[in-house]
Amino acid sequence: MNRKIYLSVFLVALIIGLMVALQFRTTSSIEQGVPFGRSQELSVELNQLNAEKKQLEAEVEDLIQKIQQTTKGQAEAKEVLAGELKKARLDAGLVAVSGPGIEITLDNPSAGQNKDPGDTMFVIRDEDLLRLVNELNGAGAEAVSINGQRIMATSEIRWAAPFINVNLTRIAPPYHILAIGAPKNLTSALEISGGLAEYLQSLGAQARIQPYENITVPGYTAPIEFRYAKSIKGE
Amino acid sequence: MGILSWVIILGGLAIGVLVGLNVPFLIPQLYAKYLSVAILAALDSVFGGIRATMEDRYDNTIFLTGFFSNALLAAGLAFIGERLGMDLYLAAVVAFGVRLFQNLAIIRRHLLKK
Repeated sequence: MNRKIYLSVFLVALIIGLMVALQFRTTSSIEQGVPFGRSQELSVELNQLNAEKKQLEAEVEDLIQKIQQTTKGQAEAKEVLAGELKKARLDAGLVAVSGPGIEITLDNPSAGQNKDPGDTMFVIRDEDLLRLVNELNGAGAEAVSINGQRIMATSEIRWAAPFINVNLTRIAPPYHILAIGAPKNLTSALEISGGLAEYLQSLGAQARIQPYENITVPGYTAPIEFRYAKSIKGE
Repeated sequence: MGILSWVIILGGLAIGVLVGLNVPFLIPQLYAKYLSVAILAALDSVFGGIRATMEDRYDNTIFLTGFFSNALLAAGLAFIGERLGMDLYLAAVVAFGVRLFQNLAIIRRHLLKK
């Protein structure tokens, strides 16, 4: 019985000593370090920030992907736009083009042809050139120029005595008209009996038609300015 | 209370302190609070035991069970209080603290009576 009491007292003393020593060490380590509440606060904050960081990283990745997609799309769009621009410039007649076609040389009746220069009242006028351009376009000409002036949608061919203005530029005889298209079609459109060539020749003008394998029609070079026309939105 | 009992008590304390000081790990800060309350309860039991010895009604079983159950209960109370968001360990501190001082006072009187 006595031994039992001694054993239990010894056990209790041992445990108390152990607990006190442990607690002493723990408390002194806490005092040295960060207070427990603070460290808990900080660890909670750290966890929150870590979660936030993870979220932000995911967002960054997402955005990077979006940027990549956009840039990819941009490059494609650029290409498409460049192609579109090229085509539009071609359509508008802003670039020089080359291909099979014909060259028409027109000149007023030379003074030496008729004995009396006064008799040659006929000179090639704007209407003749207009008709010529009209015939060429009707025959499928894809690009027409007169003395280096490309005929475009807004080109005028206008009598401004004693010259003819094309694209606001004076041109003087002899007139060299270049037209790209099927040479055969273009030639036959002009040389058809009772056609324009015959008509001009009958008036004494010199008209020569020459087909070419490859001719180059210059582009329109002056700046184009729309002061009144505005494109409709969405087109 | 012979010399043997003092040797046993002091020896147990010394071994416990030595082991506690040399154990390679520390109690995590989270549990330090529970341990402190448990120590308070254990001390209360010890002083209760001393008082019972002086009143000649010491019961070894009551002493041992009281020692462990008080310590565990106090720590458990602190733990539950923590979970409930309430400083329940204060209740243990107050209760055991009051009893501890009562026991001490009684022990002092017994010692003075001798």
